Amino acid sequence: MGRIEWAMWANEQALASGLILVAGGIVAVAAQFKGWPFAAYSIAAGVFVCLLEYPRGKRKKGSTMERCGQKYLTAVVKIFGPVTRNYYVRAILHAALAVPAGFLLSTILGTACLAIASAIYLLAAIRGEEWNPIEQKKPPERPPVGGGTIKQPPSMPPPRPPVETRKKQPLEEAAQENPIPVTSEAE
Amino acid sequence: MALCGKSWLANEGSKHLCLLFWFSLNVGLFWKTFLLYYHGPQYYYLHQMLGLGLCISRASASVLNVNCSLILLPMCRILLAFLRGSQKVASRKTRRLLDKSKTFHVTCGVTICVFSGLHVAAHLVNVLNFSMNYTEEFLALNAASYRGEDPRKLLFTTVPGLTGVLMVLVLFLMCTASTYAIRLSDYDIFWYTHNLFFVFYVLLMVHVSGGVLKYQINLEEHPPGCFHPNTSLQEDIPVPGSFEEPFPEYSPEAFPPEPEQFVEKNFVGICTEEPKFQSHFPETWLWISGPLCLYCAERLYRYFRSNKPVTIVSVISHPCNVLELRMRKENFKARPGQYIILHCPRASALESHPFTLTMCPTDTKATFGVHLKIVGDWTERFQDLLLLHSRQNTEILPNFHQRNYPKVYVDGPFGSPSEESLNYEVSLCVAGGIGVTPFASILNTLLYVSPTHLKPFSQ
Repeated sequence: MGRIEWAMWANEQALASGLILVAGGIVAVAAQFKGWPFAAYSIAAGVFVCLLEYPRGKRKKGSTMERCGQKYLTAVVKIFGPVTRNYYVRAILHAALAVPAGFLLSTILGTACLAIASAIYLLAAIRGEEWNPIEQKKPPERPPVGGGTIKQPPSMPPPRPPVETRKKQPLEEAAQENPIPVTSEAE
Repeated sequence: MALCGKSWLANEGSKHLCLLFWFSLNVGLFWKTFLLYYHGPQYYYLHQMLGLGLCISRASASVLNVNCSLILLPMCRILLAFLRGSQKVASRKTRRLLDKSKTFHVTCGVTICVFSGLHVAAHLVNVLNFSMNYTEEFLALNAASYRGEDPRKLLFTTVPGLTGVLMVLVLFLMCTASTYAIRLSDYDIFWYTHNLFFVFYVLLMVHVSGGVLKYQINLEEHPPGCFHPNTSLQEDIPVPGSFEEPFPEYSPEAFPPEPEQFVEKNFVGICTEEPKFQSHFPETWLWISGPLCLYCAERLYRYFRSNKPVTIVSVISHPCNVLELRMRKENFKARPGQYIILHCPRASALESHPFTLTMCPTDTKATFGVHLKIVGDWTERFQDLLLLHSRQNTEILPNFHQRNYPKVYVDGPFGSPSEESLNYEVSLCVAGGIGVTPFASILNTLLYVSPTHLKPFSQ
C-alpha cells in the first residue's frame, strides 16, 4: 500500500459528489420543495466542484490518463497557483461547501459523498501529495540525420559480398536438434 | 455480405442474445412490479399515501434484486474454470460466452448504481410523503409517528433508512474506485474497496427486513375503497386523480368486487371490518441467498486448497527484467492457458497477484512455472526475496532443499480465453512482450504431449 496516490481517488469522488449535488438540487428546485434556496446553492456548489475537479492531476510515477478536453480547465485551474495545488485547501473547501447542502433532504447524499472526498483529500495532503497540471507535450524536434548533409534517400543498394559466400547452410548441418521434423520453405 | 452476416452471427450473436435476454428480464420485472403496486388492491391505501414514489421505488428494487444476485455469478472463478474445462458440459459457443464474464459483471454493477440512484430518489419522496400524508385512519400503515415528522429523522432512525444510507455510501466508495483510470493507476484502491461488497450484502439483508411497506391481507372483508356505514374513509388522505370518485352509486351485485375491475368500474362494497396490514416477506433473501452461498462456498474451497505452500524448484533470471519461477505442488493440475494467483506473505501480507502459467504440469513432470515481469513494488520485493536467498546460499549449500525460499501460496488454476486455442483446427496466436506467456504454455504442451493427441503445427 506504500505507493497509493489517494488524490486520484479523492478526485473521482469529488467529481461524482458534484454531480450528485447538482442532481439533488435540480430535483428540489423543480419541485419547489420547502427550503429550495439550499437546493439552488447546492446546484451552484456542485457545478463549481465539478469544474475544479475535472482536470486530473499528474501522477508522481507513470503516465496519467487525461479526461476528455481537460486542457482548457487545466489552464484555468493552474492560474490560482498554490491555492489549487495544495490539497489541504481543497479538503477544507470541500468540507465547507458540503455543509449547507446537508439541510435539505434531496441533497443530503451529496453532502455525505463530498465529505468523504474531503476526508480522502486530507489524507492525500498529509502524505504530501500535490496537484500538478498535466502539461501538453510538444512533439520532440528530430535532429537532422548526419549533421544535415544528407538530403536525399540513397539510390543504390549497399555493396554485398560475392555470391559464393552468400549460399545458405544446409539443414543437416544446422545446430539445433528439432524434435519434430520440419520442412524448409525454399526461396 | 452473407458471409459477413453469418460470421457475425456465429461469433457475436450469442453474446448479444444473452444481453438481450438480461435486458428484457430487467425491463419485464420493472414493468410487472410497477403495475403491481400501481393497480394492486392490496396496495391501494399505501399507494394513496405515497403516490408514484411507491411504484418506482419498488420496481427499481426488483431490478436491484436481480442484478445483486447475478453480479456474483461471474466472480465464481472455480465454477467458470470447470465449465471451460469440461467439453461435455458446454459447447464451444457457450464457453466463448464465459470470456465476457467480467464485462457482464461490470454491466450488472453499472445497472445497480443507476437503479440505486432511482430507488434512493423515489424513497426520499416516499419519506416526505410518509411524513406529510400521515393517516389517522390506518395507523399501522404509517412509518412516521406523527404528521409532519422531520423526514430526516425518519431516514436516519428507521432500520431500512439507516442501512440504506450506509449502503449508498459503500456503493459510492466502490463505484468511484472502480473507474478505469483508478484501476490502471492504483489497482490496490480498487481491490480493497471492492472487498467492501461483503458489507454491502450484509447491509442489504438487514435493509429488507425492516418491513416498513405493508400490504393489506383482508381484501375479502374490506375491499379497498369500500363504503363504511359509520365513518367516511379517505378524509385526510389526498386522493390521486384516478380515484376521484370512490363512492358512486352503491351497487349490491358488485360485492365482493374483482380486484382488477374495481379501479376502472369503481364498484364498492360494504366493509365488514377494518383493513389489516402485514409486512412483506423479504423477497431479496430468496434472490441473493443462492449466489451468495455459492460464492462463499467457493471462497472457502479456494482458501483450503491454497493453504499448502508450494515447493520452489528453481528461480531463473531472464533478460528484460523477467523472472521465471518453477514450482511443484501436490495434486496440482492445470491446462495450458490458465493462470494462478501467487501470494507471498513475506512480500506483502494482503496482496496477491495473478500470473499466467508458462509451463503446466504433465503426466511425467509435476513442475509448473510462471514468468514474471518486474514492474511494480510487489514484484520487486518478491524478486529480492527469491534472488537474495539463492545468491546467499550458492557457495555454502548447493542442494536446493537447503535454500531458504520464502513461503509462496498458489490459488488456482483459473480459466482464461486462451485455453481454447487447442480446440480449433487453426489457431493464430499474436502476442508481444510478457503477453506471450499463455502461448508459451501452449507451446510447452505441444512439445511434451504425444503427437497422436494433438496435431502439431509447423511455424
